[in-house]
Amino acid sequence: MLEIKNLTVNYGGVVALNQANLEVRAGEIVTLIGANGAGKSTLLRAVSRIVTARGGQLTYDGHDLNRLRPDEVVHMGVAHVPEGRRVLARQTVQDNLALGAYVRSDTRAIAADMQRQFEVFPRLAERRNQLAGLLSGGEQQMLAIARALMSRPKLLLLDEPSLGLAPLIVKDIFRIIGELHRQGVTILLVEQNARLALETADRGYVLEAGEIVLSGPASDLIEDARVQQAYLG
Amino acid sequence: MDIGLTFQQLLNGLSIGCVYAIFALGYTLIFSILRIINFAHASVFTLGAYFTYFLIGGKFGFNGLLSNGQLPFALPFLIALVVGAVLAGLVSMAIEQLAFKPLRNRGADPLLTLVSSLGVAIVVVNVIQYLVGAEIYAFPSSVLSGLPAAVNFGNADRAIPIRTIQIVILAVSVVIMIGLTLLVERTRTGKALKAIAEDATVAGLLGINADRLIMATFFLSGFVGGLAGTLVGLSVSIAGPYFGIAFGLKGLAVIVLGGLGSIPGSILGGLLIGLAEAFVPSSAIAIKEAVPFAILFLVLIVRPQGLMGRSLVQKV
Repeated sequence: MLEIKNLTVNYGGVVALNQANLEVRAGEIVTLIGANGAGKSTLLRAVSRIVTARGGQLTYDGHDLNRLRPDEVVHMGVAHVPEGRRVLARQTVQDNLALGAYVRSDTRAIAADMQRQFEVFPRLAERRNQLAGLLSGGEQQMLAIARALMSRPKLLLLDEPSLGLAPLIVKDIFRIIGELHRQGVTILLVEQNARLALETADRGYVLEAGEIVLSGPASDLIEDARVQQAYLG
Repeated sequence: MDIGLTFQQLLNGLSIGCVYAIFALGYTLIFSILRIINFAHASVFTLGAYFTYFLIGGKFGFNGLLSNGQLPFALPFLIALVVGAVLAGLVSMAIEQLAFKPLRNRGADPLLTLVSSLGVAIVVVNVIQYLVGAEIYAFPSSVLSGLPAAVNFGNADRAIPIRTIQIVILAVSVVIMIGLTLLVERTRTGKALKAIAEDATVAGLLGINADRLIMATFFLSGFVGGLAGTLVGLSVSIAGPYFGIAFGLKGLAVIVLGGLGSIPGSILGGLLIGLAEAFVPSSAIAIKEAVPFAILFLVLIVRPQGLMGRSLVQKV
């Protein structure tokens, strides 16, 4: 579904990603783990085209993503939940969700989907008319995920959904990620919480200083001595 | 106090205030998204007036490249008003492509874009002067043919005549103000514009094509600017190529008074300044031009963010 070959990204002369290769097949949860600054978020940003790759191929469903603008990538069925949630603080919860469905025009189905998000995330239903900036961190993360789902993505890019959240809420969010997977959404998950990510994912990649150093089935990576020492310790 | 005179002043104030408001809305639309004051807006205002003048079959003077130029046909005023505003909107879009977008793509400081827009304003003024000279053009009094010159709001004994032009201005402006408010507050496009204003990157991740909506915003801004230009030209006259620049300063006073980036603020600010000017007694006419800035100064002391502006201290 998504194929990344020799992806290289520079930030003002600094190499953020070097010749990275990664593949996500339809129906999978693939996780990308690694330390802070290893280039995990950069990879997601290159896929959704909010940073420009220096070199390499990005292919999604046979299309060359490097030719597209960010909004065109969304139209192709890729939704990106960015790091730090980035909800629209000055708009209401409901308007944030409505904007998530910006690429769609099937009004009735959008209303039904919004209702469904409110069932999955009852906290958002209670606060639908509040400004998103007034939500707690966990609620904002839920809103960011719900907003991305409003576009009915085929591929969901999740950037550090557990960041800065209380353990109970993290558990809740990973339960929802599992549910989405069962509903057939393909997920590329970037996480610092390696144990949780590997327990949830089918396959995993380990990124170190901009390079993919390990990859394989998640169950194998959990057992791998190097992963255990560096990330699960 | 003379009720008739007060009523006249009130309506005159409201009608000029409405023009200030829609002119200022052109600044506000762009500022609310890009956080830049588009100085070229004042020159688009000027162009709108010249476009409409030309479209109703107006003839240019003997100075300039288009000396004695005149269209072989003449459009009815209301159609010319709209077509002129559309042309102004297209010019505004072109200005965005030439003077704003290249700088935005390079991540330039907003201050540089502001200077770039100021440069465009001066170029436009000079092009106008080159083409049609610097003389004053007045719309012929027959443009609203079919309508009486004034409507009597009093009775036969105590006439309270209001110029029909003022009523036309009031009506057109109210339609524009309501339309723009609904567009921004109620529509999907309005929400998308707010999203771009708050976080352009996230707007892209939601599937919003920011470049296209910014272009549309410049069109709208130029459209209302061009309308305002024609309406002022109609009410007074087109006072040469610099016509809009002086008016532009007043527009800036309106948006700062109302609160930068606030649509209701621009409307309120425009009406306040229009009314205040209308009620300047004729004995003090010499200071009329200073009134808006005096009001602005006083309001800013009490409310630095303007009447309806968001507080300057933003929660992180």
